[in-house]
Amino acid sequence: MTLLSATDITVRDGAARLVAPVSLELHPGEPLVILGETGSGKSLLAQAIMGTLPASLRATGTVRIGGCTLLAEDRAAFRGLWGRQIAVLPQEPWLSLDPLMRAGPQVAEAHRLVAGLPAAAARNRAAEELAALGLDTAAARYPHELSGGMAQRVAIAAARAGGASLVIADEPTKGLDAARRDDVAALLLAALTRSGGLLVITHDLALARRIGGRLMVLRDGAVVETGATSAVLSAPQAAYTRDLIAADPESWSRRVAPSEAGQAVLEARNLTLSRGGQRLVDGLTLELRAGRILGITGPSGCGKSSLGDALLGLLTPERGHITRARGLAPTAFQKLWQDPVAAFPRTRRLGQTLRDVARLHAAPPERIGGLLERLRLDSALLSRRPAAVSGGELQRLALLRAMLANPRFIFADEPTSRLDPITQREVIGLLADLARTDGLAIALVSHDPVLIDRVCDETCSLPMKRGEHDTLECSDLLRTAIG
Amino acid sequence: MTAISLPRALPAGRTLGAAILAIVAVFALLGPVFVPGDPFAQSLMKSLAGPEPAAPFGYDHLGRSLWHRLAHALRLSPLIALAAVATAGAAGLVLGTLAALRGGWTERALVVLADALLALPGLLLVLIVLAIMPGTATGFWAGLSLVLWVEFFRLTRATARATLASPAAQAGRLLGFGWPYIFRTHLWPEIAPLMLTAAAFGTATAIMGIAALGFVSVGMRAPTPELGLMMVELLPYWREAPMALLTPVLATFALLLGLTLLAGGHRT
Repeated sequence: MTLLSATDITVRDGAARLVAPVSLELHPGEPLVILGETGSGKSLLAQAIMGTLPASLRATGTVRIGGCTLLAEDRAAFRGLWGRQIAVLPQEPWLSLDPLMRAGPQVAEAHRLVAGLPAAAARNRAAEELAALGLDTAAARYPHELSGGMAQRVAIAAARAGGASLVIADEPTKGLDAARRDDVAALLLAALTRSGGLLVITHDLALARRIGGRLMVLRDGAVVETGATSAVLSAPQAAYTRDLIAADPESWSRRVAPSEAGQAVLEARNLTLSRGGQRLVDGLTLELRAGRILGITGPSGCGKSSLGDALLGLLTPERGHITRARGLAPTAFQKLWQDPVAAFPRTRRLGQTLRDVARLHAAPPERIGGLLERLRLDSALLSRRPAAVSGGELQRLALLRAMLANPRFIFADEPTSRLDPITQREVIGLLADLARTDGLAIALVSHDPVLIDRVCDETCSLPMKRGEHDTLECSDLLRTAIG
Repeated sequence: MTAISLPRALPAGRTLGAAILAIVAVFALLGPVFVPGDPFAQSLMKSLAGPEPAAPFGYDHLGRSLWHRLAHALRLSPLIALAAVATAGAAGLVLGTLAALRGGWTERALVVLADALLALPGLLLVLIVLAIMPGTATGFWAGLSLVLWVEFFRLTRATARATLASPAAQAGRLLGFGWPYIFRTHLWPEIAPLMLTAAAFGTATAIMGIAALGFVSVGMRAPTPELGLMMVELLPYWREAPMALLTPVLATFALLLGLTLLAGGHRT
C-alpha cells in the first residue's frame, strides 16, 4: 500500500518547463527525502503535490492520496486534504505561528476547527499533545517567548492536529545551526508514526543522512538518482550526486596552514562593541596575519557582522583598540557580503562598475581580464546587470572587485550561505587560494562549524546574546582561540 | 519577480497624461500666435459675446477675449508651479541627502523643521508669504517652494538612508569612492523616479493652490489672467454665459488630470 503516489508531475511557467515529469511514491513508515540545490525545482515539486503552487505556474500529472485521485492542475481539489491528509511543516516556525496567541490555544484551535472537536475536548487534546512533545510549560507562552526549537514543536503539533498522516517539511533546517538541525531531524522522525508518511525537502546532506529512508536527487527539475538514502550517500552512482557529496564541507580535506605566519595586518585589543544599546562583543582580542584565514562562527545575531564592521572601520568600538599595519591604504580593507546582488549598484552594468574601480585604483583595464580568468569567470557577464547573474558568479565578481583595490584583508561575511554546495566549494576554494598566493589576511564568517574547521587556520566563536541576563553569562564564556 | 510582472511599454495612463499636457502647452504657447490679440483689451460692447474668429472662445463680462486670457493664464500658473517645484526639489534633494549622510543633530533639526512646516496647512503658509509680497508671482513662488520642499526632503531622506546603509553603498565607500560618485551611481538612480512622481504631484498641488487663492480673491490681482481669478470673475454670469465659465474650469481640470496621470503611471 502507498500513502501517496504522484505520477508524471510537470510544472511549467509559460513555455519553460521547471519540473520535468517526475513520479514518486511514499510508503507508510518510510521517509522520502528530496535533495537538490537552490533552483532544482524541489520545492515546486512539493508544492505541485500539495496543490499550493503560485497561480502563475501550471502543473500537470496525477496525485493519489489515500483513496482519492486528483489532477495536479485542479488546485482547488487539494484544499480539502490540507490539514486532514497532508500536514505542511512551515520553514520559519516563528513566522507561521500567530504572534498574538498563546501556544496552547493555537494548537487547540486546529483541533477544534480542522478536526472538528468540541472546544473542551480540543483544549484537552492540545494539552496532551504539547505535553507529549515536552512542551507542558510552553502552552501558556506567546511565540516570541519560545525558543526556535520549541516554536517548531508547537508548529508540528498544530500542523498534525487535523489527523493528517502525511507530513511534508520544506527546508525545515533553513538557517539553523548544526545542533538545532539534529533536533529537527529527531523531531521529524518522532512525528513519523508506523502508518504515517514523511516527505522532507532539503539541500542539506546532513539532514538527509539523519532522516534516512529513501532519497531522490533532483537537478534542473529532473530526477538524477533515487535509492535508499544510506546507499546513495555512501556510493553515489550519478556524477552529479558525487559532485554534490564531494562539495559538502564534511568531505572537504583540511586546508594546510602556511608554515610561517605572515606579518600582522590588523590587531584588535579588548574590543567591546555595542549596537542599538545592546552589547554584542565584549573584550575580544584577535590578530589577523597575512596568508591566514580566521574563522568566525556563532549563532545569528551574536555580532559577527558588527565585528566585521568594526574591523573595517565602519563601526566605532565602544572600548578597545583596532590597529592597522603601517603603510596600508585605507582601501586595503575589503568586504564580501552575504547577498552579492545587494553589494553592486542595481542599475549599472557590472563591467562599468569594475572599470570605475580599476580607474580609481589606477589599475590597467587588462587587470580585469586577468582576474576574470583567474576567478574562472566569463567576460560576457560584464555586460549584464547584477540581478541577471547567478549568485555564485556574482560573489566571484565581488571578489574580483575587491581584488582591484589591492586588499591586504578581506572580511567575508557568510559569503556562501546563499550558494549551493558546489558553488560554495568553488568560492571558498578561491578565497583560500588568494590567501595563499597573494598573502591576504581573511576573516571568514560562517554558521557552519564544519566549513570553518576545514578552511580556517584559527577560529573565533562568538556566543549567543539574548537579553541582559544571558549577556552576562556570555561574556564569561567568550573565548578566542588565536594563534 | 517584479521584473517579470512589469510591463515593458510605457503605461497607457502616463502616455495619455503626457499627451494632455502637450496639448495644453501647445495652446498656451502658440494659441496667441495663431490668433493674435490682447488679453487685457476691453470692449464692453462684446460683454459675454459668443465665439468669433478674433476670439475663438468668446468674451468675458468685460468683453476681453477668453482665448487670450486663457492662454496667458495657462502660461502663468504652470510657470510659477514649475519654478516652485524646481526650487523645492533641489532644496529637498540637498537637505534630504545631507540629513541622511550626516545624521545626528543635522538630521534631527531638519526633520523637526520639516515636521513643523507639515503641521501648518499649506495654503496658510502661502498666504503668510503673500501677505509680505501681495499679489506677485514671486510671492507665490516663495510660498509654494516653502510648502513643497518638505515632500522632496522626506522622500530623499528615507531613500538615501536605506541606500547609504546598503551593502552596495558600503562597498563603494570601502573601495575608496568619494561622495559624488556614491551619489551619482547609488543614490540618484533610486531617488530619480520617486522625485519625478513627486514633482508631477507637486506641480498639480501648486497649480491648484494658485487657482484656489485666486478664486477666493487673495491670490493674483485683477486684471492678471489667472485660472482661479477667471473662474470667480465669471461665476456671477453662469446663467448667461455657462461656456465662458466652463473654459477656465476645463483648462484647470485638463492640466491637473494630465499631471496626475503622469505621476500615477510610475510603478516600483
